[in-house]
Order: sequence, then C-alpha cells, then structure tokens
Amino acid sequence: MSEAWADRLKFIWPPVLVALVFLGAWQALVVVREIEPFLLPAPSLIGQEFFGDISLMWQTAYYTGTTAFLGLVFGTIAGIAMALLAQRFIVVNNLVTPLAAGLAAVPIIALTPILNNMFSITSRTPRVLVTAIIVFFPMLVNIIRGLVQVQPTQLELMRSMNAQPRTVLRVLRVPNAIPFFFTGMKIAAPLAVIAALVAEYFGGPQQGLGSRIASSAANTAYGRAWAYVVAAIITGLVFYLIVVAVERWTTPWTGRTRSA
Amino acid sequence: MRNIARSRWTRVASLAAVGVLALSACSSSDSSSEDTAADETTAEETAAEETAEDTATEETEAEEAASGDEECTELTPASLQLQWFVQAQFAGYYAAKDLGFYEDACIDVEIIEGGVDIVPQTVLAQGGADFALAWVPKALASREQGAGITDIAQVFQRSGTLQVAWADSGIESPADFKGKKIGNWGFGNEYEIFAALGEEGLDPASDVELVQQQFDMVALLNREIDAAEAMTYNEYAMLLEAVNPDTGELYQPEDFNVINYSDYGVGMLQDAIWADEARLGDADYADLAQRFVTASFEGWIYCRDNPQECADILTANGSQLGASHQLWMMNEVNKLIWPSPNGIGIMDPAEWEQTVSISLNSPNLEGATVITEAPADTAYTNQFAEAANAALQADGVDTTGEGFSPIEVTLNEGGA
Repeated sequence: MSEAWADRLKFIWPPVLVALVFLGAWQALVVVREIEPFLLPAPSLIGQEFFGDISLMWQTAYYTGTTAFLGLVFGTIAGIAMALLAQRFIVVNNLVTPLAAGLAAVPIIALTPILNNMFSITSRTPRVLVTAIIVFFPMLVNIIRGLVQVQPTQLELMRSMNAQPRTVLRVLRVPNAIPFFFTGMKIAAPLAVIAALVAEYFGGPQQGLGSRIASSAANTAYGRAWAYVVAAIITGLVFYLIVVAVERWTTPWTGRTRSA
Repeated sequence: MRNIARSRWTRVASLAAVGVLALSACSSSDSSSEDTAADETTAEETAAEETAEDTATEETEAEEAASGDEECTELTPASLQLQWFVQAQFAGYYAAKDLGFYEDACIDVEIIEGGVDIVPQTVLAQGGADFALAWVPKALASREQGAGITDIAQVFQRSGTLQVAWADSGIESPADFKGKKIGNWGFGNEYEIFAALGEEGLDPASDVELVQQQFDMVALLNREIDAAEAMTYNEYAMLLEAVNPDTGELYQPEDFNVINYSDYGVGMLQDAIWADEARLGDADYADLAQRFVTASFEGWIYCRDNPQECADILTANGSQLGASHQLWMMNEVNKLIWPSPNGIGIMDPAEWEQTVSISLNSPNLEGATVITEAPADTAYTNQFAEAANAALQADGVDTTGEGFSPIEVTLNEGGA
C-alpha cells in the first residue's frame, strides 16, 4: 500500500511543481513590473478573493454545479435511449446521428437566448436544456460505438445459438458499451460545467458562476472574476474525478484491460 | 508497470486539458477583447508617436488651429470608444463628426462601437482609444483597480435609469420590490437597484429575486419578471413599440408603472467623457482633449436644437433600431443633458457626491460594493468643460439650455 502511495506521489509532484513555478512567475511578473490589477490580477489577489469568502464561492459553484448535474443526467439519459434505438433500428441511426451532429454544432450563444424566451428566463430550465444538448452528442456517439463494435466472433457464436437480439444486447452489447459510456462521460462531465456556466451569460438568475464572472469582469473586479474562474475549474475537475471514481468502483476491470 | 505509468500520465494530461478548457472557456470573452486592445495599443502608440513628432515642429500652428481661426495643416487622429452600438445615445459625437465640427477643430475622430463585453474605460487605460465614454460608477471601479483615467466632461447631468412594471402589478415604488422578481442587466449597470433596495431596508440577496434580463424586454412583456430595468431613451421605448395583443395597438404609457431612480435620490451619474490621466500631462494630448471636448459639445448643442436631423444622422450611420426609435432616444437623451445649469459637461458636485456615496455603501448580491475607498480629487476635472463653455459662450452659443423644451415623439411598431 505504502509502495503504491509512493508510486502515486511520484506522478503527482511534477505537475504540482510546474503549477507552482507558473504561479510564482506570474506573481513575480505582476509585482516586479507593477502591473495594475485591471490588466492582470496577481495570484495572491485571486487567492485573497477566493479564500476571503469561501462560502460564497461554494454557494456559487453549487448553483452552477446543480445546473450542470441536471443537464448531465438528462443529456446522458437521452443519449443512452437514443443510442439503444439507433443500434436496434438502422433507420433511427441514419436519421438521428446527423441530426445529433447538427444539434451539437448549434452554438450556445444562439441557442440560449431562444430557450430563455421559450422557457421561463427566471427558472433553471433553459440552462439545464442547453447543458443537456451539449452533453447529448458525446454520450450518443460513444454509446452507439460501444453497442455496435462487438467482437464478430462473439456475435457469430450468439447468433449460431439462435440468441434473441434482446439477449445479444444484454449479454454482449451493453457490457461492451460500458467503457465507451465512461469515455463519453469523461468528456461530457466537465463540458456540462462549462455549458451551464456559459448559459448564465445570457440572463436569468444571477447566483451562478457565469453570471458572477461576467458581472465581476464588467466591474473591473478581475481578482474576484478569476476567483470565480478558479471555483469553476475546481467544479469541472470534481465532476471529472467523480466520473473516474465511479468508473473504477463499478468496473474495476476496464481501466486495467484497456491499458494492458 | 509501464502501462500503469502511462495511464497515470494520460490522466494527468487530461486533467490539465480540462483545466485549460475551463479556463479558456470562461475567460475568452474578456481576454479576447483585451488581446485586441493590446495589439491596437502598440499600433496606435507608434502612430501617436509619429504624429507627435510631426506636430512638434508645427506646434504653434496646432495651437492656433485649436482656436479655430488659423489654417489646419494636418488633422490630429483621435479615437473614441463607445459603450454600445451606434444609436442616438451618442448623437453629439456622430453629429460633430458628420457635420464637420471635429474637422473644424482639426481632429480626425474615429468612433469605435462598443458591445456587451467591451469595457470602454479599460480600453482607454490600455491605450486602445484616446477617449472613452463610461458610466461614472463603472469607471470609478476601474480606477480603483489601477486604470489611470479622469472624467473630463460629465455630459449626462442626470440618470436615465427606470424600473418598469405593469400598471396592474402593484409595484409603484422601490418599497414594493419586496418578494418580487426584479429584472436588471448586470454588467455593472445595476447599482441603482441595489441602492434603492438599500434605502428601503431590503436585502438584495434575500428580500427580492434578482433576475438578469436579456437586452430586450421580452421577460417583462411575457410577465416572467415583475419589473424590468430600462433606460428612458432605449428599453422603455421598446415597450412602447410593442403591440398589445389585447388591443392590437401599441402599448401605451398608462399600461406601465414607471419608477425613476432619480426621484428616489439614488440616481448615479452616467455617460461622461474619460481621458487618460497620465497623458493629460502631455501638452499635445491636453490640447487634443480640449479641442475634442469643445467640438463634442458643439455636436450636442446642435442636437438639442435639431433633434430630427441628429436622429437622421444616427440612422444613416447604421443604428440597429429605426427612425422613430432614434428620434425618441435623441429627445430623451436631450432631457438627460439639458438644462445644464452650470454649462454643458460641468460636474455637479452634489451629483458626484451621491454617486460616490452609493458606490461606497451599496452592496450587491455578493456583498461587494462598487469601490472600497473614496476616489481621489483627480477622478474628475471641470477644467476642459469650463474652457469649452467659455469659448462657445464667447461665440454667442447657449451652453446651458435653460429654455430647453423636449419635443413630442410618436413611436412606430418596432421603432421603425
């Protein structure tokens, strides 16, 4: 155990060191060159703003995190449902995949104001929808691939035993799709946080990260704006790490077999 | 072992990538504008240096040109950063440009349009423009963060911010905001609301539900919010340009309750011309500032006396909304400027005090105030506005607008 821990440390310290050197250089640059905060706030100022009101940071991140989580859940459910249909009916596949790709290409800045006017701007609904739409595509693409790309020999074996499509799905396709599902989730989870945050730029309740980053920047409070950016990064990382943890816990074999 | 190592490195790399992604996504809106501003800085600095060299030899001529009597050999280039897109809010500057007042003052003015994410006063402080228009509280916030800028002409003498509710909403004053959904724009345009809530003893975080509006009035028209922030000259007109589905006619002023923040002692100073404080020590720039202020005032005075013609100038310059909207805006903006009892652009110390006091004392949703310390006396100067008024009065121009009376404007559907 301790050996594993030491092993782990060996891979943690290089990025930490790089980050510290980067922050140190940033701080030195601001101090030595006497750069005013309206141009570039020093890491110390950002830290001061971040830790100065940590509960506010938490509440703000919690609000946006909730939006991101709801969007992630709905987008994932829709992605799974559509992938199952697309795998079963080739017509659906031909129809849905290009449409989903088109949907993924719609810019958030065009979509959000429209959804804000269609659904109540005072509610979380338009933002959750935007997030779900953003999440939907990577989930759909990955799960379809997981369901379809099974070993031909295994498929032939099951067919030779006259297995029903439902059985093939349960025994072969779904287990095969699980690693793909997690790959999709690892892309979608941090993306959900970004989508939820950007969706806040276009109006609505003002207690989230996106609103406050925009508002702080407009008030030239860049130290505070960056403190919220730090909170946003942490939120995105937490989402990602939760996916990694769930993957390890539910399918401990996948990580090993893939890297082997 | 090697495989595990590789997978760990991949994870670290993807973590970093996620971080970078999040970072770039959040900051893109600010940093992109900063980058371009910085690029322009260098370009313009060199340009400015070159002109400085050119004009140094002709200094006497330039000074004479400033007085307007002597021949102007070469126009001095100057740029003005607006807060928003071309519209009658900036009529005086467009009029001065199109009618040749700037040229008469020997300046070639480039007017740079703004947008949601453009912060004019930081564009100015970074050298991206020679002058900028900004609301006073927002500029004071930038000043506190190190932007060396000075208010050289307080063009708008009073605030044009309203809170508009439906006539049947029961919202007649800020005291009625309690428990309601109160729209505001955010982006630093919302401090009068916080000040009004504070005056009524309401906590912005818990006693009202604050909702950021989009830059249209749909949320109020759909009754999703109970009251919307509106400028007298822009969004309020948008409401009156919308069709009431019940009558088939345009909405009428009787359909709305209008709360004017100025009436509640929480109005804050808005559009002012800001200049680079450090550069004002340079005689050439100070001279340019003087000529720019005087010519801009001429534009505003012209628009006071010829609102229709100025509205036409704006539509000709490509304003997004149409002719009746521009004329309405021109008329309402005139009301914010005129009368200027001490002369156009001269700061009223009482209004300044009120703006500073609210900026210091009214916390927003996050508990932050606009500024934390009172600004230095150099945050504004009347020197340029006074000289401009004196010069214009010497030419027999009315610079106070004592007898100003607004016109009646009929709005058409959609501002056409």
